[in-house]
Amino acid sequence: MKWLSKNKILSLALLGYMILGLYNFEMLGLALKTSKYYFIEMLQILPAVFILTSLLQVWVPTTTIMKYFGDGSGVKGYLISFLIGSLSAGPIYAAFPVCKTLLKKGASIRNVVIILSAWAVVKVPMLINEIKFMGVSYMVIRWILTVAAFLVMAILMEKILKMVELPQDQGLKIDYKRCIMCKACVRKYPDVFGVLKDKIVIHEEDNFNEQLMSICPVGAITT
Amino acid sequence: MSTIILILMAVGAALVSLKKDSLKTKKAFGGAKKMMGSMLSDIVGVLLLIGLVLTLISPEIIEKTIGGESGIFAVIISALIGTITLIPAFVAFPLIGSLRDSGAGIMTLTAFLTTLTMVGFVTFPLEAKTFGKKFAIVRNSLSFGFAIGIAVIVGQVMR
Repeated sequence: MKWLSKNKILSLALLGYMILGLYNFEMLGLALKTSKYYFIEMLQILPAVFILTSLLQVWVPTTTIMKYFGDGSGVKGYLISFLIGSLSAGPIYAAFPVCKTLLKKGASIRNVVIILSAWAVVKVPMLINEIKFMGVSYMVIRWILTVAAFLVMAILMEKILKMVELPQDQGLKIDYKRCIMCKACVRKYPDVFGVLKDKIVIHEEDNFNEQLMSICPVGAITT
Repeated sequence: MSTIILILMAVGAALVSLKKDSLKTKKAFGGAKKMMGSMLSDIVGVLLLIGLVLTLISPEIIEKTIGGESGIFAVIISALIGTITLIPAFVAFPLIGSLRDSGAGIMTLTAFLTTLTMVGFVTFPLEAKTFGKKFAIVRNSLSFGFAIGIAVIVGQVMR
């Protein structure tokens, strides 16, 4: 069951093949033959796509570009937002925490929308993949239109929303009545917890997860 | 041709990286392997589905339902399908490439492709939790609208 939910698409495909095989064996062969063609095509490019993406991530980590973000104003802000989006790896939801951090640092809605859209659409290995299957002119036209669309969208969104009302952070708190200063939290997550004047303090509140809470042996880390 | 460029780019980048810092390069390769491992099942699944769809559904039906002459209704349906699907974007390209070769219209395929990457139904709760409901609703609906617009223009230009 776990395997099924983890591999939904693959399971669906295998089920389809099983049914097809029972119904018409000849067509099963035909379907496999068609798939084989695309397998070979993808095998040629996949390792290159993954290696390029991963190299980018190692040499130009998202956090490094974020440092240059500054107050994110003007053309430079647009450009850096665009770079953050297009040089980072991962699906669009991987961009959410990055954008949240930037919002807390005072980034505008405009830049956040640019990051999210660029993250979703503008990726170098992806563009080459698009050329391969759809042709250069298709890629160029779609690319120009998409970039234009998300610039307009960024401005529109800022007009509509004025500012992002970030949902109330379920920020972590330390219950000092319970805390016994064992410093287990500081040892395990030195980025998040620290010691200030004989008291545990929280430096960074980006993570509102259970993991951080469960590290405390006396349960003094609460929301 | 584009395959060769891509492979050359990857090999070149890997060599430069290796010369500059072998440890970092090793890390990158590890990351690439991990990424591939986590996505392999989806990739294989989609590629198998392509074969299945192209075998079961004849080009005539594809052309009739989502072909160039299928109209704005088909475009909106495709955009909706793109909204609720969550597959890695780069397997979407062989998918839409294969559908185009079987007679699907550029407009419908572009609508699917663009909402697939820009609008997220499955990720909506996460987005609302991160940025607030209003932000998520406005961003996703605007993206959906623009995706239709992009699809219509690309469809006109590429005809």
